[in-house]
Amino acid sequence: MNDFPQHAVTSRQLERVIAQVGGIILGKERQIRLAIACLLARGHLLIEDIPGVGKTMMAHALAASLGMGFQRIQFTSDLLPADIIGVSIYNRDTGGFQFHSGPIFSQVVLADEVNRATPKAQSALLEAMEEHQVTTEGETRRLPEPFFVIATQNPSYQIGTFPLPESQLDRFLMRIQLGYPDSEAERELLQGENRRDLLATLKPAMTPQELSDLQHRAQQIYTSSALFDYVQALTDHTRRVADYVNGLSPRAALALLHAARAWALMAGRLHVLPEDVQAVLPAVVGHRLVPAGEVTHANGADIAGHLIKQVAIP
Amino acid sequence: MYAALRNRFYTWIFQWRGPEAGAIVLGQRRIFILPTRLGLVFATVLLVMLAGSINYSLGLGFVLTFLLGALGVNAMIHTFRNLANLRITGGRARPVFAGDTALFTIHLENLGDTDRYAIGLTHDRRQASFVDVMARSTMPATAGVAAPRRGVLRPGRLTLFTRFPLGLYYAWAYADLDLRCIVYPRPAPSGLPMPPAASSAGSGTERGQGQEDFSGLRQYHLGDSPRHIAWKAAARDQGLLTKQFTGRAETELWLDWAQLPPQMGVEERLSYLARWVLDAHAAGLAYGLRVPGTSVEAAAGEAQRERCLETLALFDRDP
Amino acid sequence: MTDPKQPIAWHHVRWLLLSLLLVAAPHALHMPAWTIALMAMLAVWRAYVGYARHALPNRWLLLMIALAASIGVFLSYRTIFGRDAGVTLLVIMLGLKLLETRTQRDAMLLSFLGYFLVITNFLYSQTIGTGIYMLACTVFVTATMMSLNYAGSEPPFRAQLRTAGMLLAQSVPLMLVLFLLFPRVPGPLWGLPRDAFAGVSGLSDTMTPGSLSSLVLSDAVAFRVRFDAQMPRAKDLYWRGPVMWDFDGRTWSAQFFFYTAPGIEAAGDLVAYAVTLEPHNRRWMFALDLPARVPPLSLVSTDYQLYSIQPVNSRLHYDMTSFLNARFGEAENRFALRRALQVPPRSNPRAQELGRELRQKHADDEQIIGEMLSMFRRNFVYTLEPPLLGENPVDEFLFSTRSGFCEHYASAFAVVMRAAGVPTRIVTGYQGGEINALGNYLIVRQADAHAWTEVWLANQGWVRVDPTFAVAPVRVDTGISAAVPRTDPLPLMVRPPYEFLRQARLTLDYVANTWNQWVLGYTPERQRSLLAHAGLDDATWEKLTAVLLVVAGVIVAMLTALALRQLKSRARDPVTIAYVRFCDKLRRRGLTREAAEGPVDYARRVERLRPELTPTVEAITRLYVALRYGAESSAIALIELQRRVRQFTA
Repeated sequence: MNDFPQHAVTSRQLERVIAQVGGIILGKERQIRLAIACLLARGHLLIEDIPGVGKTMMAHALAASLGMGFQRIQFTSDLLPADIIGVSIYNRDTGGFQFHSGPIFSQVVLADEVNRATPKAQSALLEAMEEHQVTTEGETRRLPEPFFVIATQNPSYQIGTFPLPESQLDRFLMRIQLGYPDSEAERELLQGENRRDLLATLKPAMTPQELSDLQHRAQQIYTSSALFDYVQALTDHTRRVADYVNGLSPRAALALLHAARAWALMAGRLHVLPEDVQAVLPAVVGHRLVPAGEVTHANGADIAGHLIKQVAIP
Repeated sequence: MYAALRNRFYTWIFQWRGPEAGAIVLGQRRIFILPTRLGLVFATVLLVMLAGSINYSLGLGFVLTFLLGALGVNAMIHTFRNLANLRITGGRARPVFAGDTALFTIHLENLGDTDRYAIGLTHDRRQASFVDVMARSTMPATAGVAAPRRGVLRPGRLTLFTRFPLGLYYAWAYADLDLRCIVYPRPAPSGLPMPPAASSAGSGTERGQGQEDFSGLRQYHLGDSPRHIAWKAAARDQGLLTKQFTGRAETELWLDWAQLPPQMGVEERLSYLARWVLDAHAAGLAYGLRVPGTSVEAAAGEAQRERCLETLALFDRDP
Repeated sequence: MTDPKQPIAWHHVRWLLLSLLLVAAPHALHMPAWTIALMAMLAVWRAYVGYARHALPNRWLLLMIALAASIGVFLSYRTIFGRDAGVTLLVIMLGLKLLETRTQRDAMLLSFLGYFLVITNFLYSQTIGTGIYMLACTVFVTATMMSLNYAGSEPPFRAQLRTAGMLLAQSVPLMLVLFLLFPRVPGPLWGLPRDAFAGVSGLSDTMTPGSLSSLVLSDAVAFRVRFDAQMPRAKDLYWRGPVMWDFDGRTWSAQFFFYTAPGIEAAGDLVAYAVTLEPHNRRWMFALDLPARVPPLSLVSTDYQLYSIQPVNSRLHYDMTSFLNARFGEAENRFALRRALQVPPRSNPRAQELGRELRQKHADDEQIIGEMLSMFRRNFVYTLEPPLLGENPVDEFLFSTRSGFCEHYASAFAVVMRAAGVPTRIVTGYQGGEINALGNYLIVRQADAHAWTEVWLANQGWVRVDPTFAVAPVRVDTGISAAVPRTDPLPLMVRPPYEFLRQARLTLDYVANTWNQWVLGYTPERQRSLLAHAGLDDATWEKLTAVLLVVAGVIVAMLTALALRQLKSRARDPVTIAYVRFCDKLRRRGLTREAAEGPVDYARRVERLRPELTPTVEAITRLYVALRYGAESSAIALIELQRRVRQFTA
């Protein structure tokens, strides 16, 4: 629907970022767009997939292309909250404690394999995500702006994992699944240069100020009452029917709206369409809705597809 | 023989068609209408009034009688309309324990501009709940269905009915939605001791033993580790008490089918396991569940409780 | 509240009390005082019990009250079967039933009784006012029934009344059809209580001095007449009623006797008209002198008096024709002529003497009549308030008081004529009437009651002689009000100075007449004649039922369609309406938009399948999206969208 232009406000920089990241993660343009939409909506992103499909690479490429500070935290079972937030160390010279900030104090934080750490360590990260600040030893410290967490996790059926509780999954605006590349993309991957070398050559395609402007513009995208009706109809439906263990929370409804606005902005439109909502729906509700009475692991696309079919556009 | 014939007759006349997925819109073919007993009394009163009007040549008597007769016809239209074009979707039913009453919720959506009053929902025709569905709104209605056995309870055909506005007619429609409710086994009465807590093994994690957070004492049960007996308390003649810890590894509890006495029957075992799950959840422990064929990994919290009880409910049953 | 066995709440009690008291209130006009007090007590009792949520009284107690009340009613009326006693008993039982009403079913039955009570009111009055009041009562009772059938929240009082009124208003078309077409059966089906039609005034079958002048004080309507063509002159408007033959010295009376009827020798002008006769509980019917046909279910006597087979106890409508100035009875039976000469020998000796003198003076009957009339003309007074008369009323009237009303003149004239050997009889009835220009019909009131005579002349048969005409010609020419002195207590409305009041009254009478004709007087005959006008001749009840079913079926179908119209969701804003029309056009070409398909997705799909439509579909979609989802809200864009949708063809 991108080629159904309404008003030409497409951001050249955004297209460049998409192109740059797409040059490294091949054949995943939709996921890259979703990730950027997530960023524009000031939300955090969860990438869930088996190891080796390029989760980390994508996070890296995004950070580099956006010209933002980047830190990576590898989550392990012995990771302590202090390893994320930082510690206060006694400074002999000043005679006081000095705070050594942890990797969380960065514009883009890649939390790798977040479900390998204990719930304690997980909650330290999730608190920071929610509050955009950390509190240690009675002192509150602001995190940098923009602040964007990309967490990756292995599918929960893998052994040795502590799956994120449902309540905390809700804090990620989107969850995307990368999946295997198609054969064409994989051939290119095999033939091409080392991706890590490519990554090192990436130059920022956008300044943090431009990004901040775009985030602001995403918030300004016009949303008509007809569209609010649609979002409400979707959330109402999930709360009513027996298909899901729990309905969508108000936070989820807000997330859906924000994501749809960002998506509309990326499509170069000044207002949100039901199609925008439908486009971001799999990523926004996939990790929030648990189908009832099913043991198998349903993916976001199936859940969202089912939901879209059930709810008429008012 | 008679019952079978009657059933076939009903199936034909009421167009019973088995459970339907998705939404049901009460079209005109789905709604049936008959006069109530009061409606028949009303008709009789009208006949008496007509006879009186003829006898006394009451011009206005004829007017009133015919007006009320027309009102009776109009009431039929309105009773029918009160149900017509409602959109019905199945809702969720919270799991219940066997022996309780499952509450099935369905949602009545009124798309039109007319308020609908006094719409009843019933499963057995004895007990009914009533809702009003205003214009362009949706209201949930609940039907209570007894859940005698564990497993999946399907209520089958629910009846939506109304007598509004005048109580002279009974209009009804069948809603055979694909509803289901998980029925947990009835928990055994409390009293059976918990199985001993096993230290977690085989999960490949090497956390500390987590025995530092002492949380309280409880009555000693056979099988508790001697290391956890509160010897000091024993020395003070308070009987044998077991120290409880909240550390993670310590309380990783396995509720195992095999731990129950071998002479126990299947249902009895399930009901004891259900009791254990409830007790463990109440104590805030992390626990796992093992029944033949399935096991639930150890965890704590509301979701774990539901997962375990559901496993017990569906043991040997098709979901 | 929709389970019949569920107890009712206080507000339901309020509804019941309100509507039942409203319905029962008019009965207070004729119920004994103690029953009104009892009803009030029962109502207050029920209200208190309902309000304070006390238990209802013991059944035995209620039974005792019921028994006591029945005895009381019997003592008051000396019966418990008549109309008044029956209605009083019904009202009391209703009050007691209120105290027994606990569940929804009881309350519903009580509402039905409320409807029944409405109909009992019509036994007493069927005026327009009563009709309107009772319609309001019906709305209240219906609202009470509705209130009993809500489950949860109930709309406010006024809204419930409005809904009940709507339900009834929607029933009106079907009611009209039933009213007009339901096969009517002539009543009564069973015996009527003796007091069913008490208290109606009218002519009687006897005539004494003063009997007519008291009737003239009533301005009640006797009957109304609509003439098919030109109305005859006022002096021809003699409405023939009971004919009196027998005189006992004071009282004239009409009695049946049968013999061969004399024929009509020469018919005068034929005049056709239709009469709507108010009920008067007697059998005679009125027609212009001289009736030329016999309406159905009636017969004509030998003295050309119309009789109904049944007493006229409901409004009677009949078509009539009459001969004005007919010659009849030349071949009158001789027994009848002898009877028309009877005078009790010892009564009114002076009058009889006068008759004999006249006979000696003149050989010709007509001269005798002429002399008598000129005597009246000379020094007699026409008045509504004649002096009271004693033993020989005719003598006293003729020779001392010399003032009287029409019955005095008729009576005196007849006595003198009989004494003179001229066969004479008295005809009572009405003379004249008031023309209501509004409906172009004639109103004949009790005030127009009149008595005149007929004398039998050898070559002319029975000839009408109106002695009153000799005294006060104005009475016949213009009406009673001009003829009597101003001081006489005539009904106010009949007097000329109150012209504007009279006009208002005529208007009201017109409405009442229409009401009578079409609502109250819609008899089986009228139904038949209406259907004949509509082209359905000799409507049997089978035919009627078939017509009724067809018309009622059409109305019910229309009502159903109207009722089900608002049930589906409808687009309300013009943007969506236009877009839905656009989608409908595509749907007819097999390109149905899915419920969950966004407008842009839909447009792309349509363009893929029908590339030639691309420009129009895209333009419409762009406008729709901008108006519905964008910030665009200009009227121009909307008009453009509507225009494009209108012109769009797939």
